[in-house]
Amino acid sequence: MNHKMLKTISCGVLPLMTLAMVAGTATGAEYYLRAEAFTKNLPDPSGVGTIPIPMWGFALDDSFEGLELQAVSVPGPRLTVPAGDTTLTIHLDNNLSVPISLTIPGQITTKTPVFFTDGQGRQRVHSFTHETPAGNTTMVDYTWTGLEPGTYLYLSGTHLAVQVQMGLYGGVTIDAAAGEAYSGVTYDAEVMLLYSEIDPALHTAVDDGSYGTTGPTSTVDYNPKYFLINGEPYTSATLPMSAGAVGNRVLLRFLNAGLQTHAPNLLGMYMSVIAEDGNVYNFPKGQYSLTLPAGQTKDAIVTPSADGAYPLIDRRSDVTNAGGFSLGGMVRFLEVAP
Amino acid sequence: MRTHLHSKGTQFTVAVMAALALFATDAYAVIDGLTGSTFTLSAKDGYVLGGDGLSIYTWGFADDTGPMQYPGPTLIVNQGALVTVSLKNYLPEPVSIVFPGQEGVTATGGVAGQLTQEAPADNGATTVEYQFQASEPGTYHYHSGTHMDLQVEMGLVGAIIVRPTEFPIDQWAYNHTDSAYDHEYLFLLTEMDYDVHLMAEFGLWDQIDTTTFHPVYWFINGRNFPDTTLAADTPWLPNQPYNCLPRMHPGERLLLRIIGGGRDLHPFHPHGNNTTVIAKDARLLQSPLGTGADLAYSDYTITSLPGQTVDAIFEWTGAQLGWDVYGHAPGDPMEPFEYAPDHGKPFPVILPGQQELTFGGGYSGSPFLGAAGDLPPGEGGLNVYGGFMYPWHSHAENEIINNDIFIGGMLSLLIIEPHGTPIP
Ligand SMILES: [Cu+2]
Ligand SMILES: [Cu+2]
Repeated sequence: MNHKMLKTISCGVLPLMTLAMVAGTATGAEYYLRAEAFTKNLPDPSGVGTIPIPMWGFALDDSFEGLELQAVSVPGPRLTVPAGDTTLTIHLDNNLSVPISLTIPGQITTKTPVFFTDGQGRQRVHSFTHETPAGNTTMVDYTWTGLEPGTYLYLSGTHLAVQVQMGLYGGVTIDAAAGEAYSGVTYDAEVMLLYSEIDPALHTAVDDGSYGTTGPTSTVDYNPKYFLINGEPYTSATLPMSAGAVGNRVLLRFLNAGLQTHAPNLLGMYMSVIAEDGNVYNFPKGQYSLTLPAGQTKDAIVTPSADGAYPLIDRRSDVTNAGGFSLGGMVRFLEVAP
Repeated sequence: MRTHLHSKGTQFTVAVMAALALFATDAYAVIDGLTGSTFTLSAKDGYVLGGDGLSIYTWGFADDTGPMQYPGPTLIVNQGALVTVSLKNYLPEPVSIVFPGQEGVTATGGVAGQLTQEAPADNGATTVEYQFQASEPGTYHYHSGTHMDLQVEMGLVGAIIVRPTEFPIDQWAYNHTDSAYDHEYLFLLTEMDYDVHLMAEFGLWDQIDTTTFHPVYWFINGRNFPDTTLAADTPWLPNQPYNCLPRMHPGERLLLRIIGGGRDLHPFHPHGNNTTVIAKDARLLQSPLGTGADLAYSDYTITSLPGQTVDAIFEWTGAQLGWDVYGHAPGDPMEPFEYAPDHGKPFPVILPGQQELTFGGGYSGSPFLGAAGDLPPGEGGLNVYGGFMYPWHSHAENEIINNDIFIGGMLSLLIIEPHGTPIP
C-alpha cells in the first residue's frame, strides 16, 4: 500500500485522460474496484473455531486516488448496472503482488491478450486482455459497450487457474428496465446466489509462494473443502435469505465462479428457469433442479404459493464444511414472507 | 427364405434353455415396487454385493420390517393420493427424508432437523410421518435430508412413481398421449466411494471426509453389471431386489424413467437408437401454450443430473440398418413394423466360420432377429428367442467398471425381441 502516496502524486498527470473517459461514458456505469489480499476465516470441520484462509478479493472505492474505505470481499462487490446504461467501465486498482485483469464472459469488449514465452520457447497467453500491473500508480480501465441485460460474472482474466480460485470474481447484473431482468421478465424480489469453492491447500501455496515452485503447479489436484454461496459456507448460524412474499415473482440469480459443477435443488417449489448465461430461453423450464457448471449463470423465477423457509441444497452433496458432520457448504434457506 | 438353421439337437437345447433363460420369467417384470399410499420405511444397514463380488457396507431404506434395500423401495402411487411415509431409524445417527418435486410436504414427530423432522438414532422407537399430496404425475425420488453428503452416499435414496389419473385406462406416464408406452423401466443411477463405506463399517467416523469423494462402483437400481441383468429378487442379492433388463418388441415404445440418485452426473447412453426426452423433474417438456411434450427432443446421450429425473421414450424397428434384420428373401411376408425399404436386403457381411469365432452366451447363432443357428456344444443358451442386445450404459466410460475391473458398473442390456416373445 506504499504506492498510495505515489498515486496521489501522479494524480496530476491523469486529469486529461480521466476527463476523456468520463465524457465517453456519460450514459454508462462506472465503478472503482480495488484488488487486495486478505484473510478469510472459515469454520473448522470440528464445528469449533475457524481456519484462516489466504484470499484475494475486490472492494469498491469511490475513486482511484481517494481513501480505501471498504474492505475487500469474496465474491467482490456486486455491480448493479442501472437500467438503460449501455456502457460499463471499471477502473482497477491492484494492490496484489501480481498483474491482474478483468473479463465479463458474455459481454462484448475489445480484448488485447498478453502473452509470455514459456520454457520451451512457446508463445502462451497469460492474460485475456490488458493487465493492471501490481501496485499500479495509474488506474487501468476495462470498458464494455453495448451491454446485454442479464446475470454475469466478472472474473480476473489473468492466470485464471490461480487468480479466479483465489477469489477474484464477483457478479454483475444488468436489467432491461427497472424491475425487469430481461425484456418482459418482471420480478418483485430477487435473490443472488453466487457459488464458489475453496481448496485451502492451493490458497496456502499461492500465498507462501510454493505454488509453481516447490508446491502444486496447477489446479489438477483441486480438492475443495469449502463450498460457498455468496462467499460463505452454510453454518447453523446462517440466516435465511429473504425471498419476497407469497404471490411475488421472485428472481433467483445463480452464478458459478467455482471450478466444479453444482446442482442446486430447491425443495418444496418448482422454479421456472428462464435464462442461461444471460440468454433467455425460448421457453422457460419448469424444474426443481438445475445444473450450474463452472462459469455459468442461470436465472429462474419462483412464484411461492405458501410462506416458509424453502431449502436450497447442492445435490452434488457439497453440503459439508471440510468434511465436518454438521450441515454446511452450499445450503441456503429462502424465506418467503406471508 | 427365413434363415432358420436349427438342427433337431439345437431345438431340444432351445426347449430346455427356454425354461432357464434369464429373461423368460415374470421375475423380470417392469418396475418393481410398493403400491398404495401408506408406507413405512426403516433406515437400516446391511451389505450389498458389488459386481465383482465384494461386500459393501451400506445404509438403505427397508420396507418396514423387511431387509435393508439399496435403493429403497420404489413407491408407486396414484395422482391425487395423500401419501404417508412413516420413517423409523435403526442407524447410528439421525435420519430424515425429503421429497424433491413435492409441494406442501408436512413432517410430524421426531426431532427438528435442519431440513425437516428427523428420526433419532433410537433403534426404531420414534416414528416420523411425512405427508404430501401426489398432485402431479411423473418420476420422482426421495433421499435422506440429514447428513446428506454421507447418508445419500451410504444408500439412503429411492424412487417414486406417480401414476397419472389416466392410468391404467391409458398406459401413459403423464396425462398425455405423448407419454404413452408399452414397457417402462427404471434407471436409478447412483455411485459409491468404497472407502467411505469401509470407514463407516468400522465406525471410523472422524476419518470420513466426503470432500475427497472418489467413487469406484456405479449402479443402476442398486446393482452393477452384470447383476443388473439378473432376475429381480435374486436370492443371493437379498439387499438389492431390483434389476434392470429392458425388453421390447420392434415398433413398441419403451419408457425410460431415469433418476440421478447420486452426487455425480451420469450421461446415460442407450445404444440402438436415439431416445426422445419427454419430461424432466416430472414435468412434460411442454411450451406454455402447447399441448403434450411439444418441446421433446431427440438425443443419444441423456444428461442425468444429481437430483433430476428424466423420462424418455425409446423406439426401435431396425430402420435404416441397410439390411433385413429378419433375414427375409424379397418375396417373404413382412414382420409388423418392419422397415420396408430394407425388406429382403441381404446381410452385408460374410459370417466367419465357427472355428474363427469366440461365443458369448447371448449369441443365438444367427445375426437375424428371432432366428437361431448352430452353435458349438455348450455355447449360447441365454438368448433363446433370438433377440438383439444393445448395451445401455453411462457414457462416462470409466463408470462401466467394478472397482477397476472391466466390464461392469452402470451398464445393462436392452433386448429387442421378436414379436410373439412374452414380455411381462
Ligand atoms: Cu423383411
Ligand atoms: Cu457404448
